Amino acid sequence: MSKDNVESTYFRRTSRWKLILVLLIFALIATVIISINVGYAQISFPDILTILAKQIPFLNGFTASSTIQPSAESIILQIRLPRIMAGVLVGAALAAAGVLYQGVFKNPMADSYVLGVSAGAAVGASFSILFGVSFVFLGLRLVQVAAFLGALAAMFLVYNISRVGSRVPVATLLLCGIAVNFFLFAVVGLLEVVAGDELHSIVFWLIGGFSNVLWKDIWAMLPFIVIGVVVAYFYARDLNLLAMGEETAHHLGVNVERSKQILLVLASMITAAAVSICGLVGFVGLMIPHVTRLIIGPDHRILLPTSTIIGAIFLVICDDLARVVATPFASTLELPVGIITMLFGAPFFIILFKRKKQSYSV
Amino acid sequence: MVANLVLLNIDGVECRYGSVKVLEDVSLSVKGGDFLGILGPNGSGKTTLLKSISRILKPQKGTILLNEADIYSLKSVDVAKQLAVVPQDTSIGFNFAALDIVLMGRNPHMKRFQMESEKDMAVARKVMKLTNIWHLAERPINELSGGEKQRVIIARALAQEPKILLLDEPLTHLDIVNQLEIMDLVKDLCVKEKLVVLAVFHDFNLAARYCESAILLKEGKIFSAGSLTEVLTSENIKSVFNVDAIVTKHLVTNSVFVIPLSPQKSSPAKKCSIHLICGAGTGTALMKVLLDEGYSVTAGVLNVLDTDFETAQFLKIPVTVEAPFSSITEKTHKANLEMISEASTVVLTSVPFGLGNLQNLEAALAALRRGIPTFVIEEVPIERRDFTGGKAKALLAELKRGGAEFVKDQNELLSLLNVSVEKLKTAKEERNRILAHLKPGEVHKGTKIKDKGEKK
Repeated sequence: MSKDNVESTYFRRTSRWKLILVLLIFALIATVIISINVGYAQISFPDILTILAKQIPFLNGFTASSTIQPSAESIILQIRLPRIMAGVLVGAALAAAGVLYQGVFKNPMADSYVLGVSAGAAVGASFSILFGVSFVFLGLRLVQVAAFLGALAAMFLVYNISRVGSRVPVATLLLCGIAVNFFLFAVVGLLEVVAGDELHSIVFWLIGGFSNVLWKDIWAMLPFIVIGVVVAYFYARDLNLLAMGEETAHHLGVNVERSKQILLVLASMITAAAVSICGLVGFVGLMIPHVTRLIIGPDHRILLPTSTIIGAIFLVICDDLARVVATPFASTLELPVGIITMLFGAPFFIILFKRKKQSYSV
Repeated sequence: MVANLVLLNIDGVECRYGSVKVLEDVSLSVKGGDFLGILGPNGSGKTTLLKSISRILKPQKGTILLNEADIYSLKSVDVAKQLAVVPQDTSIGFNFAALDIVLMGRNPHMKRFQMESEKDMAVARKVMKLTNIWHLAERPINELSGGEKQRVIIARALAQEPKILLLDEPLTHLDIVNQLEIMDLVKDLCVKEKLVVLAVFHDFNLAARYCESAILLKEGKIFSAGSLTEVLTSENIKSVFNVDAIVTKHLVTNSVFVIPLSPQKSSPAKKCSIHLICGAGTGTALMKVLLDEGYSVTAGVLNVLDTDFETAQFLKIPVTVEAPFSSITEKTHKANLEMISEASTVVLTSVPFGLGNLQNLEAALAALRRGIPTFVIEEVPIERRDFTGGKAKALLAELKRGGAEFVKDQNELLSLLNVSVEKLKTAKEERNRILAHLKPGEVHKGTKIKDKGEKK
């Protein structure tokens, strides 16, 4: 192995990263278009492409829309597309947050449950379902707003309990997070017990699903997720250094406490936005970063963007399955996507992990 | 002195963990090209001192100035450009390649959105070649051995292009070749690049070999500071570590050389004295062991500057001495015999015999003739250490005929001694009782005459 070889391989890596990202973006677009075709009403691919093209200003002149039924157009634009876009957004958000949590905590088990973020969202959502579903705040449903605020409140609570002087040790954070998590889920349990007729809604929210997603839910949360992921990317190299241990990162010039604080706030904000759209979709945030790390390697500068896109693709596919697996039994029944992510994601993860176990360590 | 040399000034630093003081009033000053060893027992504050310098643990009192700026007021990135740390514990979370990890050392020199440049790569290559790990560049870190990993960590620290290098027991996981290679490299950088090196050592001799100066910490305070010869004295080692140590100059490296002795065992005094006839280092180990076992020990005749003489001096063992590199004179021989007459038993080590010390063998024979039990250690056959043309061999044969106990090594000797210690004691008392009836002058006179007579 000559030295030039090592160096050129290293520098070629950057262009390989770009290629991977481009391919993944194409894969995501393909997944979205194919997913539009999935559903009870059969709409052909040419029709789908025509309907989509009509929405794009420069392409609508070239399309002949006369053949397409208005019902097909509204199914696609008002029912399927928002749902798929929610899948893209939520999958991307959860996977990105997972990368951030695992990186900051240097712990493979870390995800949005760790800081009590999910639990906080669950409490907020359960309360709002129980006491005022019809209430609308700034054009958004109360359940969404309450989940978002609940998630952030839980994160700040855990963060401040764990603070020792100006430092927030990771071990304390994990333990406080777990304690607060149990407490909040106990509150959720209590609410479920007294819920009566609303129990069904709470349970559905806790599993997570896209059946009621509207465009405005997506638009409301899009900025949080996009800004969160983009800002987090600026800290990708800090995450690499944090993986070396906090003291080492400190010696290498990272302002550890500040980076940690920013990254945790970003991760929690992204998670809060995602779960407020669709409820607690489990396993994406835990699994996707691992899978991506197996394929791509541990460098967060590529791990974060690839995980984000793979998370989006994964969740969209899971939602496709959620829509179709139950149709042979009952045409209108669909499963919550949270069940699919866990039911199909877990075995897939185990198989992948078994095959590459020897070279993998966290 | 060059003006742009880096300067680290520590003044009156005090650190606590809660209410426990771990550092108290520590002051020191180092500049480019200094190699300072930090010595002291576990818990004496060595690592804490490094932590306070590397801004992990802010001191409650005192200042740490880096080029006259308070190190705690600087930005992390600016400190990391000047100061690198090789920590004790080197666990690494995710499985990065060795090159990736070394390139992380470039972090303080990179802007937030920058990727590694050709220059960063050139630095990484240079330090990885220095630390001899360039061939491992693409290997995942968790597949490397402990020594290789440590080299990667050191390369990463060097990739920071620091002016100050803090090493916290950097050699813990390394074998001897790795230790010397790494320390030679660090020393080289210290001399040529005017790097400041502050290193925590547990091995005095390694410290002595590489450091110019050292501080010795005891319970968080500087017990002694200065050049290695000033700091590493047996008195200092005794009061800080509570261990006896022989401090000499090493013959090959010419640095201070410390031989720590195992802590004094508290065997009860046996009231049984042993006279050693030794020389050329054959008695050194035995002296310490016998003292530990509770015997009182004397030795002679030894030449001044002989290894055994120096050990005896250190252990405060009474010795009959002869001038350096001189044959034993009749006068010293007599003095030795007097000393022997006080002993319960005589032990003769596997010392080589030449014409200069042949009389020691005669002294052993004299002791035997006078009824003092005599042990002969024959680790090396007499043929190989007889430089008297057979005279020593003949005397040794005579010792054997006269009933001297021959043993093959120190361990056999010790077990025999321990078994017969009571017998030895009573034998001596018996002898003293007989001798007590004679006048003191006559004892020695008589003995001498008798010896001479038998020799002829």
